[in-house]
Amino acid sequence: MSNIDFNYVENLTRSIFFIVLVLFFAVSIVSLIWVRNGKEKAAKRNNILNGVCTLASALGIAGSINYLFGVNFSNAQLELLHIKTSLPLISIDLTIDSLSAFFILGLSILTFCVSIYSMGYMKHYNGKRNVALFNFFYSTFIISMYLVFTASSAITFFMTWEVMSVLSYFLVVFEHEKEEAGRAGTLYIIMTHIGAGFLMIAFIFIYIHTGCMDIFIKNGGAEIPSAIRNVIFGCLLIGFGTKAGIIPLNIWLPKAHPAAPSNVSALMSGIMIKTAIYGLVRFIFSFLGIEVIWWGMVIMILGIFSSVLGVTYALMENNVKKLLAYSSIENVGIIFLGMGVSAIAFAMGNVFVGSIAMLGFLLHSFNHVLFKGGLFMGAGAIQYATGTKNIEKLGGLIKTMPQTAICMLCFSMSICAIVPFNGFVGEWLTYQSMFLSLSQGIARINAISIIGVSALALSGALASVCFVKLFGIGFLGKPRTEEALKAVEVPMPMRFGMAILATLCLLVGVFPMIIIKPMASIIFDISGFNILSELKGGLFLAYCSMNLENSQISSMFVLVIIIIAIILTIGFAYLKNNKPVQVSYSTWDCGFGGLNERMQYSSTGFVNPLKIVFKALYRPKIVIKVEEGETQYFPVSTEYKVTTEAIIEKYLYSPLITKVHKLSMRARQSIQTGSTHLYMLYVLLALLALLFYNRLV
Amino acid sequence: MHTTVFIILQILIMIIISPLVNGIVNKIKALVQKRKGQSIFQMYYDLSKLFKKDTVISETSSWIFKATPYILFGSTLAASLFVPVTTLVEGVSFPADAVMFIYVLALGRFFLMLGGLDTASTFGGMGSSREGMISSLIEPAMLVAIFTVAFFSGTLSITGMMNFAAYESNTTVNPAYIMAFIAMLIVLIAETARIPIDDPETHLELTMVHEAMILEYSGRYLALMEYASVIKQLIIITFIVNIFIPHDMFLTMGGFLALVLSIAIYIFKVIVLSVVMALVEVNTVKFRLFSVPNMAVMAFIIALLGFANSFIFVNN
Repeated sequence: MSNIDFNYVENLTRSIFFIVLVLFFAVSIVSLIWVRNGKEKAAKRNNILNGVCTLASALGIAGSINYLFGVNFSNAQLELLHIKTSLPLISIDLTIDSLSAFFILGLSILTFCVSIYSMGYMKHYNGKRNVALFNFFYSTFIISMYLVFTASSAITFFMTWEVMSVLSYFLVVFEHEKEEAGRAGTLYIIMTHIGAGFLMIAFIFIYIHTGCMDIFIKNGGAEIPSAIRNVIFGCLLIGFGTKAGIIPLNIWLPKAHPAAPSNVSALMSGIMIKTAIYGLVRFIFSFLGIEVIWWGMVIMILGIFSSVLGVTYALMENNVKKLLAYSSIENVGIIFLGMGVSAIAFAMGNVFVGSIAMLGFLLHSFNHVLFKGGLFMGAGAIQYATGTKNIEKLGGLIKTMPQTAICMLCFSMSICAIVPFNGFVGEWLTYQSMFLSLSQGIARINAISIIGVSALALSGALASVCFVKLFGIGFLGKPRTEEALKAVEVPMPMRFGMAILATLCLLVGVFPMIIIKPMASIIFDISGFNILSELKGGLFLAYCSMNLENSQISSMFVLVIIIIAIILTIGFAYLKNNKPVQVSYSTWDCGFGGLNERMQYSSTGFVNPLKIVFKALYRPKIVIKVEEGETQYFPVSTEYKVTTEAIIEKYLYSPLITKVHKLSMRARQSIQTGSTHLYMLYVLLALLALLFYNRLV
Repeated sequence: MHTTVFIILQILIMIIISPLVNGIVNKIKALVQKRKGQSIFQMYYDLSKLFKKDTVISETSSWIFKATPYILFGSTLAASLFVPVTTLVEGVSFPADAVMFIYVLALGRFFLMLGGLDTASTFGGMGSSREGMISSLIEPAMLVAIFTVAFFSGTLSITGMMNFAAYESNTTVNPAYIMAFIAMLIVLIAETARIPIDDPETHLELTMVHEAMILEYSGRYLALMEYASVIKQLIIITFIVNIFIPHDMFLTMGGFLALVLSIAIYIFKVIVLSVVMALVEVNTVKFRLFSVPNMAVMAFIIALLGFANSFIFVNN
């Protein structure tokens, strides 16, 4: 491992990293002891602890930014911790390099905002729940993610990965008396362990063929025979794909993410699924190195399915948090699209396209941290103020919660990749990389790229419908229920946490080079290509535009033009009529009067045209129950219910589960009969087999 | 300097000509239906009058409702800058490409759909819902068609594509371009809310899409919404005529005269395409809403086939 020249950066990074970990650890322990008695006191103490979390995260942000600028294309790695144990192979290794630092930056920014947000959000748990325990899990969960991003040996990585999974499970089932939460948690822990099993297989193969556990070595797995490499790739893809929630391994995600408290959902959807992206980059791009095209093809196909299916399911959801969870699947799909393009290009030896694509998907990962974290916080705010997650029961919140509404509007626009916001920058790079990969001149790459382009276009457009629905039905119009009418703006810290993220969304959108410049050294570490030689900032300020070959964009420019246009238009309108009279009047009711809130478009109705268009996908079932009164024309009550079918669960998982169940029933009859003698025989046989195997090897 | 001149020229042309296109379409429709029809300048009078009028605002609406017309108009004007009416102004470097063009239009549409929902009117919700469906289904066709053209031109910048078409117009006559052209014509009809996808003249709840979203708007707000929609129409027409029907007569001439002539020819082409649009509009009936996806898929498949052609041609 090469050392960094800058002693200063090295020492600073190391000490900051440990201070951050110690602070979070202290919070977790102190919380258990200290946040106990009394409602008022507990709230105050909880706030102090969250303040410490915020401080620690701020240090994390500073440390990672300092590191990213400090390393500057030096391909450096900085060993943070190395503990050897007496057991062979088992050691704890923590190392940081630019890739780790980048993800830690995302993690720290999110925990910074979420911790501020929690000061307000946890209020409604006070006295009802064990907030101390929550804080314990919350901060240890954050620690585990810091460790996942820095674990440099396969063993450490696997241990921290498992710790992260288990701690997040406890957070998912935090509202344990709800049946939904319990079920979601069980499904989550099962799926995540299936994934972890595959990871374990991959790590074992890696160890067998390299004899080394260090995963930070570039191309460390280059000498593994290609058949084994393919197996490792498959296992890694399934293992990390499960955590990322890629379709068809996604079934746990839309259940588990919404079940957790909103601040945890923000962390889970915001950054925990990025640990999978990190893992894929670390193991596939950096450790194994890509030699065959079909790896990238597989990743891209998964991306195409996830992006389109994820958003189509999100469209139909009326539960805010479920909608957001499905939208995470879509965004992971978009990230996978970029990753696939990148993998294909690296396999072709086209480092330039590969690097641009990698920049695209890493940037989209970072952007997703910002806006999805924010959206989940917003969903929490809605729930905090109205007590419901159902969009059908909201409406008119823009008047009662104006600041939350502005934040949600920013996040919604970011996630739809609308221009001055950050989502656009990442998607633009992905589009560009797909366009550039057309120049490689191989028919199947062209075919898959153009399908990728159409998938990205379709999912982008559907996402905008989806978020128009979320914002338009939830925040605009008339309140549909008492709760929505009586909603009051959420506490200050909650708004503040969201506002920071919203500002960052706009900032990264308008000045993309701020984040791209430090990212260049990550790409350089992996591909050896300096992205800044091709992707230049230019025009006005070096940070606000991106020039790539013949294309250049600047959101700043567009924003300025729009603002000038608006000012001129207002001026023109004023010239035409300098005493404008504005009359406030009720909405047009066709002259019948009595327009009420139930006559508005409902959330289900809003997306109904798309439901009909994609009916092959949803297989909607409509049940109308009418209870007739005296005559059929005056029914006592009517009930209209539309349900959509979960295709993946029904056609992929159900048969699988039935098969496994049947098999285990049969196994129980023949192997596990309950006879102790038989079991002892098994033990003996296993022992003999092992001895025999040992003799052979 | 050039860029500033270009921006002013571009915006002026867009603002001045766009209502005229609507006037011509309406006039042709009237003539075909053996009516006398309104003057082709009618829309200018309408807009001018609307700007002078007072406004009525729904009680339920929020600031989104009032901001929407300005944001829609501003973003449409910004998008119009990406699609130059003539490629003759040299030295223009404009920081935008086709992808950004689409996502700037998306900004306007996002607010347009929100504006529809803001008044708690059923009409608005209905319009937004339908607009969401149509626009999201047509988007892939649009991007694939653009990518086909971009693939030939070697750039995603719209100016670059137009330059390529103008300077190398002999290479742009091939099946890929023709198919992309057909796909873009369908996109044009869908994006500009014309028959057979939507009917710009109706106010019947069964059929309206765009009109439903702007139903609650009045006065200057309505003027801006209408203006934005005709400018958007002209933008897409400009995109089509300058890429698929390029003209290269004045490329070598240079100078002020060439610029004027080039713009004159551009206006001529726009008029021709609007006549075609008018003829399509009189000769078809509006589709049922759920036939629109078929049309969108058709456009997508045509665009995809065009793209498939493109790499056959480039490889040879």
